[in-house]
Amino acid sequence: MARALVLLLVVLVSLLVNQGRASDNQRLFNNAVIRVQHLHQLAAKMINDFEDSLLPEERRQLSKIFPLSFCNSDYIEAPTGKDETQKSSMLKPLRVSFRLIESWEFPSQTLSGTVSNSLTVGNPNQITEKLADLKMGISVLIQACLDGQPNMDDNDSLPLPFEEFYLTMGDNSLRESFRLLACFKKDMHKVETYLRVVNCRRSLDSNCTL
Amino acid sequence: MRNSGAVLILTFIAKLILQAAGVSPPGKPRLTSCRSPEKETFTCWWEPGGDGGLPTTYALYYHLENSETVYECPDYRTAGENSCYFNKNDTSLWVNYNITVVASNALGKNISDPVEVDVVYIVQPNTPENVTAVVVHDEQGPFVRVSWEKPRTADTRSGWITLIYQIRVKQEKDEKWEEYDAGMQKYYNVFSLHPDKECMVQVRCKPDHGFWSEWTQTTYVKMPNYIPRERSLWILITIFSIFIVLILTWTLNVKRNSMKLCLLPPVPGPKIKGFDKQLLKSGKTEEIFNTLVIQGFPPTTDYENLLVEYLEVYDNEKQELVLDGKELSEDFMKSKSSSDNDSGRGSCDSRTLLLEKCMDGREGSGSDQHQYSQHGETSWASTESSESQGAEPGYPESTDGRAKTWPVVFPQPHHHSPVGAVKPAYHSVPEILNQLSPHATPSNYHQLHHQDIPQQELWFSKSACRHSQSYNQFNLDVIDTPAPGVPPLPSLEYVEVQRVNPENMLLLRPLNREPERSDCTGEDYSKVKVVTSHNILLLQRDTSHQCVDDYSQADQCTTQQPPHPCKPAVHQWNSVMPQEGMRVMGNGYVDSTVLMPSF
Repeated sequence: MARALVLLLVVLVSLLVNQGRASDNQRLFNNAVIRVQHLHQLAAKMINDFEDSLLPEERRQLSKIFPLSFCNSDYIEAPTGKDETQKSSMLKPLRVSFRLIESWEFPSQTLSGTVSNSLTVGNPNQITEKLADLKMGISVLIQACLDGQPNMDDNDSLPLPFEEFYLTMGDNSLRESFRLLACFKKDMHKVETYLRVVNCRRSLDSNCTL
Repeated sequence: MRNSGAVLILTFIAKLILQAAGVSPPGKPRLTSCRSPEKETFTCWWEPGGDGGLPTTYALYYHLENSETVYECPDYRTAGENSCYFNKNDTSLWVNYNITVVASNALGKNISDPVEVDVVYIVQPNTPENVTAVVVHDEQGPFVRVSWEKPRTADTRSGWITLIYQIRVKQEKDEKWEEYDAGMQKYYNVFSLHPDKECMVQVRCKPDHGFWSEWTQTTYVKMPNYIPRERSLWILITIFSIFIVLILTWTLNVKRNSMKLCLLPPVPGPKIKGFDKQLLKSGKTEEIFNTLVIQGFPPTTDYENLLVEYLEVYDNEKQELVLDGKELSEDFMKSKSSSDNDSGRGSCDSRTLLLEKCMDGREGSGSDQHQYSQHGETSWASTESSESQGAEPGYPESTDGRAKTWPVVFPQPHHHSPVGAVKPAYHSVPEILNQLSPHATPSNYHQLHHQDIPQQELWFSKSACRHSQSYNQFNLDVIDTPAPGVPPLPSLEYVEVQRVNPENMLLLRPLNREPERSDCTGEDYSKVKVVTSHNILLLQRDTSHQCVDDYSQADQCTTQQPPHPCKPAVHQWNSVMPQEGMRVMGNGYVDSTVLMPSF
């Protein structure tokens, strides 16, 4: 009888703990989604400001250059459709997100220099800090998802992409700036989408059902 | 060579024929828009550029940004005419599509401009569905609850796409819609709607980064007729205000008297100094009026004193220095007073008459000239300028236009031209005075009624009123001068003063000669050199070298002349000290204000 009680207690406690942890994770996830959403909005605003500050001849010059967004992150294999995203495990989008964020940590320092309107960016290191925070959060989430399982994915061990990618390409500073901003925006949107999908998949009481 | 030439010519001719026939290669098509409703598929539409009269076919080609492989549109029909539908399999997100449309007909083809599209940024969802609006009755009043559902195609559940909604409401006869943001929720409560009116509701949605969808169809709902609760509030306010009004009225009533005193202070009765109300009441009018009379007003001094005595110094050509007499002879006074009445005199002598005549002709300062000679008194030529031009230091002008009969002395004989405006030199006065000082009465300021001015010639400048008659009517009682009597001059001319006889008369003689005089502009005015002890102004002539030559003929270069460029100066009066009370200013002018008598 006592043993049964103890067992029951242990189960209850573990459940609670799990729930706590789950809610904790949930909170983390929500937090991560909010953060990346903010980053994406920032990226969108930056590129809008950049386009607004262009002179007409510069605009024409830019429009003639196609394609514009040869991004550094193109090499990172990421699901490009909903089905693909949903069919993959939970970890894959997370891992991809992690790598994407990581790939932007260094080039983000040059981002603030491209935008003329300093009010958008404010602190030049702001983006880098946010990216660093997000990266850490995602790694926590990955750990939580892994949940003790060993990390079987090989992709993580791949070397980081060519970090100087954005800094050495081409001479045209206008084109480079635009490309930098466009790629940043795109990658942030990717991460946001992935995190949202994973978040919704994980739990039912998030806003996904709305 | 010849073949190619022939081919060219043939094609040219063919083109011409075709053009004449109205057929041509197709116009350039244009991609109008590409849209994705759920971020999984997308559709592109184009508009044809003109088929050129022949059946034209359109083909859409695309390639992804990182590959050169060109694909053709997989589905031309699903989305309708002139469209291309990309299904899930063909849609890749976060990749740029480079799309072009090619129009081709029998005669040729035409390629549209390429368009770069990233599916993620062209999302425009379908409209929300099942919009319902219901009136909910609440204790605070009825309101409308609007609810809807997400568009069917958007997959929000998996988090793939997040939508935010917006609703707009319009009541009948309103012009503008009221818009409300509903966020991500699928219902909204609309308050502050007017009762008994029909209400129209529309909803639309937008992904977090994308385009707004179209508005849904209008949903109608009728608001019930209800009495707003606000009325009770108004009743309360009314009662409260009535209460306050009652209190105020009662307070006012209590404090009636003090309020009256405060608001309507008593008006003080009229009070005139020295006026006795009792006297008025007693009814003795004479006594009353006597009390009103102030002793000593108006000041009844001698008429002589009425004359304003101050020095006028003109610098105008037309004006002449007017010297005021402090005290003129009584005779003169009499004559003056009688001149006012214009009695016993000819009309020509009437001062007022002259004035009237002169007023019209005068623009600025003019000189008015009267001479009174009727009674054998000294005749004075007086000039007046009511509106004097130029500087008149220390000249308090009389405000009325009456000519003042000041004796005007224009002593300088040879400086005046008989015709035209000439400034008389005033320096002869000193010489006159100087000569006559032994004879002058102490109290007189400037005395022209001195005897023995043998060599003096007093000139009277011509008046500005040329139309006035000559006033040189002198009634010379005694003409015992060697000089001929003064015939009445037909017009105002310069006359010489022959001399002054003992009866204080100026004996004038007409000016015979009219030497040409240059305009001595330099002699506008004279400075007062000094004032003698007998209140005599000794004038100093402005040194002007222009007039030197003119005076050669005159024998005026006597010792009595004031400092003259060609003459020895008279130094007699250098020793005269200014009288006390007179101020000689630095530039030789006398401040005459001190001379003004105080009444």
